[in-house]
Amino acid sequence: MADLSIAVRQAGDVAVLLPAGFINAHTVREFEEALEGLVQDGRYTILLNCKELNYISSAGLGAIMGLIETVREHGGDILLSNLQDNVFAIFDTLGFTQLYRVFSDEDQALAAAAPGQKG
Amino acid sequence: MDHAQFRLVIPSQTRYLNLVTGLAKRASLVAGLDDATAAKVSIAVDEAVTNVILHAYHGEGEHSVELELRFTEEALEIHIWHSGQGIRGDQLVLPDPKEYIKHPRKGGLGLLLMSRFMDEVQFKADETSGRNECCLIKKIS
Repeated sequence: MADLSIAVRQAGDVAVLLPAGFINAHTVREFEEALEGLVQDGRYTILLNCKELNYISSAGLGAIMGLIETVREHGGDILLSNLQDNVFAIFDTLGFTQLYRVFSDEDQALAAAAPGQKG
Repeated sequence: MDHAQFRLVIPSQTRYLNLVTGLAKRASLVAGLDDATAAKVSIAVDEAVTNVILHAYHGEGEHSVELELRFTEEALEIHIWHSGQGIRGDQLVLPDPKEYIKHPRKGGLGLLLMSRFMDEVQFKADETSGRNECCLIKKIS
């Protein structure tokens, strides 16, 4: 099994990225390229559905941090959903749950990302 | 538990990170730590070994990284040795998470995660051997 696989689909105006496996210094470039590809396509509202993400290190956090300003400058955002406990612990420990909107499931995230719901 | 220790030497390549973090997680469970703590230890080890590969060895893959796991009654100790560039004192300044949130940027979070997830993080240089060490300690409560 590969360390990381990434699926992308569109849900209305939201690009849903589904990383599965491990994001670390070895796999982060693949993750970064997927995020950058969305931004280059003008898809600035991105939901990271992390239900199959087992692990993320600071390399992966850096990839997200590196794009947050860009997407917000274009009226978009990066949202997170379905975080496993250990992945949530990393975001929460660093205080990043204040920087990103975190949802328990994808439906809630998509509802929050709908026009007029940004907050 | 009897005191025990064993060593693993890996090439300085990120492809082996998953192997090392998996080992760190299993070792944490063997030491008596719970699942959530074991996950945090594995992240700290990932960050430490990544720092060695990318910064001490500048991404060069032909070097070695040596890990030693020490199990005692009080703690799990993970010692990581390398012969690359040692970390300088001025590089040990931990970023302020609040500042990070105000001014998002890449990099600098690994040390912060290590310090938050472990009870002790020590950096040492052995002038005799020329090797550098990062020591991660998690106490067993």
